[in-house]
Amino acid sequence: MKKFLLMLLLLLSFSVVLVACGDDADDATNDQEPATDEGEAEDPSSGEPVEGGSITGAMHSAPTGLFNPIFYTETYENNILSITHESLVSQNNDLEFIPSLASDWQTNDDQTTITFTLEEGVTWHDGEPFTANDVVYTYSALADPDYVAAGGVRTVYVENLLGYEEYNAGETDEFEGVTADDDYTVTFHFAEPNVNPLYYSSFPIIPEHVFADIPVADIPSHTASLDPGEVIGTGPFAFTDMVEREQYNLTRHEDYWQGTPYLEEITWRIVDQSVMTGLLETGEIDFIADPEGVAAADYETVSGFGNVTIIEQPDFGYQLMGFKLHHRTSSDVEDGVIDPDNWEENEKLADPLVRQAIAQAINRPGFVEGLLYGRGDVINSPIAPQFWAYSDDVNQNEYDPAAAEALLDEAGYVDVTDDGFREDPNGEEWILNLDYPVGNELRERSAPIIAENLEEIGIQVNLRQPKEFTAYAEELENDNTDWDLYLIGWSLSSSDPDPSSLWGTRSAYNYSRWNNPESDELMQDALSAPDAFEQDYRADVYAEWQQLYTEDLPAVILYAQNKLYAHNDRFHGVDPLPYRFTNKTHLWWVSE
Amino acid sequence: MYKYIIRRILIFIPMLLALTIIVFALAQAAPGDPFTGQILDPNIDPEVYELRREELGLNDPVPVQYFNWLTSILSGDLGQSIYYNGRSVLDLISQRFPNTMYLGVFALAITLMISIPIGIYSARKPYSALDYGATGFGFLGLAIPNFFFGLIAIYIFSINFGWFPSQGTITSNNLTGITALIDRLHHLVLPGITLGLAGTATYMRYMRSEVLDVLGSDYIRTAKAKGMTSNSVLYKHTLRNALIPIVTLMGFEFGALVSGAVITEQVFNFPGLGTLFLQSVMNQDYPVIMSMCLLFGVFILVGNLLADIFYCIVDPRIRYD
Repeated sequence: MKKFLLMLLLLLSFSVVLVACGDDADDATNDQEPATDEGEAEDPSSGEPVEGGSITGAMHSAPTGLFNPIFYTETYENNILSITHESLVSQNNDLEFIPSLASDWQTNDDQTTITFTLEEGVTWHDGEPFTANDVVYTYSALADPDYVAAGGVRTVYVENLLGYEEYNAGETDEFEGVTADDDYTVTFHFAEPNVNPLYYSSFPIIPEHVFADIPVADIPSHTASLDPGEVIGTGPFAFTDMVEREQYNLTRHEDYWQGTPYLEEITWRIVDQSVMTGLLETGEIDFIADPEGVAAADYETVSGFGNVTIIEQPDFGYQLMGFKLHHRTSSDVEDGVIDPDNWEENEKLADPLVRQAIAQAINRPGFVEGLLYGRGDVINSPIAPQFWAYSDDVNQNEYDPAAAEALLDEAGYVDVTDDGFREDPNGEEWILNLDYPVGNELRERSAPIIAENLEEIGIQVNLRQPKEFTAYAEELENDNTDWDLYLIGWSLSSSDPDPSSLWGTRSAYNYSRWNNPESDELMQDALSAPDAFEQDYRADVYAEWQQLYTEDLPAVILYAQNKLYAHNDRFHGVDPLPYRFTNKTHLWWVSE
Repeated sequence: MYKYIIRRILIFIPMLLALTIIVFALAQAAPGDPFTGQILDPNIDPEVYELRREELGLNDPVPVQYFNWLTSILSGDLGQSIYYNGRSVLDLISQRFPNTMYLGVFALAITLMISIPIGIYSARKPYSALDYGATGFGFLGLAIPNFFFGLIAIYIFSINFGWFPSQGTITSNNLTGITALIDRLHHLVLPGITLGLAGTATYMRYMRSEVLDVLGSDYIRTAKAKGMTSNSVLYKHTLRNALIPIVTLMGFEFGALVSGAVITEQVFNFPGLGTLFLQSVMNQDYPVIMSMCLLFGVFILVGNLLADIFYCIVDPRIRYD
């Protein structure tokens, strides 16, 4: 009995300790509240920029450590490289290309060449002048025969250039694609008339005087791609120091061509996601930006901090549920061949009415409210809404279970066995397999809801166990399986709206194996010279394509999440692009 | 004794070879490869990845890949990471190794400093209030998940009071000498305590039961009968014998020390071998995974060997021939 009492006493004392901790937590948030109101009273945007000071940004994962625009592969590096390096042209808030290292440009009539006049007086971080030779060098490196073997993946920028194949095959030492006319004039030559030459010339430029003597194969392992102080760009800040995997320090480039930056230093710290918002509150970090931003679930907490401003804007990307319209044969999967002639149609989803019914049965507004806390949108078209090419004048497939049931009845999918589930028009059992990956929590949570939504209108769904992402991606690609419905998320390019890399019939990423000749034709039209030189023409064609997409429906776009950037109110001059937080960093400044 | 050590070391060779085969087979059996997860960037042509696979020999038959890897390991080359853009595996491991070592040693020191005195005290005054209290807190430490304890510690001591930094291992590269050392120690406190407290219960329980056991044995009664003070009985006779299981535990700990503490490292962004291993597994970075498994294997074997040797030292009854 005595023992029992002792144990009880112990248990009680522990619960007191735990409760005490809980109290501490509450106190802490309360302490911050009064400061909140004072902070809001001041207008953060007022006042003249102040010279000096530094800011600290947080990202939750470390870069792999390759600080070279032509070779890096992770988005974390881009947080640094987008500040240290610049391109001939950049983009504005409307996604139009605007001058950067090039002050002006001229295309010829059939858009096979584009000639840039470069800014004079631009210097690299090491003081050398920037010239046309640097541009020629950068593109020659991308086209180099050893580029891909050395780990490069950005060949898309050079494949359309004149003489790429010869140069890449090592048949010639002269790359005709990009030529320097004089020190400050450079011309890009395309093999075919090009609809969007500015996109292809928007690649960040690396210095010839640093890399010229290094074989392309050795660039990724060279100190000029790895070590702070040796990574050289033309941007407003130079990468000068790091504690690898902990913090990355950028120091201002005094001779920056658009004027000396206000800030002396920008530091990126690697911070675990679970403590990020806490450090933002204490002011230990000044901003949370790409790639993840603030989680939608934390929106309320962070906006309650008072010393913090949240910037909310749509992201370039969306989550979708795809329909496997065709499967590849096992021999094609084995050989890695994508040949629509060999595809086997997936009878279960062949009827477009069925796909529309499924789209209308899914409570997509519910996802935005429930999973995204309202920080997102339901979209129907697979083109990013920020683009001029986006059209909302399409089939909306709004959430309407009754209409969905009517569509299924019309298509002949009715319950003939009275088991509560519909059978196919031949009266056979009709079960749809739904596969999804782990990794993205919101996507994981959406799968069971989708299954439930579909079962409500009488579709029998076999909700599979979620798979680890790599395993999932492999099966998604090698689709000689029984998959019907799959979940995936895409991030989209912000440079051009062309959707063919995701939805072209022969595209590897067309995981629905959607084969619609009309769609292919429209996507090609939108890129065909000379009509497509006019943006209005392209916009019309894409509008038509988007309408077709939402009728034939190779996939239901579930939602597009908003990106939530947060920054401390002492940090001014923030002007994020639609696709990136870091922009005009030389105009960033801090008060106090 | 030397013969014994040499024999033990020779046995390492087939054991490590078997380990490489198992690790390699497991890595191969996992679906996908380093490039499968990367496919989801529509701006990059998937054919580029196919070329990279071919280049790195990922399309070769499995036995060929294994023997290529084994031969380069035997020639002392651990190979290049795929995820880390061809950086040498040795470089990656040696970069993280010191952090893992600091954290591990610091945590172990905390564990021992807390658990041994309390364990001894509990044994001398068994079933006392303090004994129950220590046991209770020990098990509480064992029961609270590491990440939760870490977060609470960060919340209270870093965010609320601002006493300790919550992330990383050092404030800046510019620090040198003694200030750098102090700064590093300052960064070690929270992760060290988080990791150290978790191990306390086990050591404490071992220490308690072992001391209790020894205190009840005949030779202790003899020592007491000779008129020795209870302190000298404790320090001269009891502790030495009671340390045997602790030595066994520490032999295992030696291996665990290098394999790192994934969760603690993650929460405190303390870049060590644990997170490197986790990241490599997630990205299917075979060269790193295999080298690290090999490294862990070596350390665990060496740790056990060291434990066996230490038995001789603490307990003269144990002899190897």
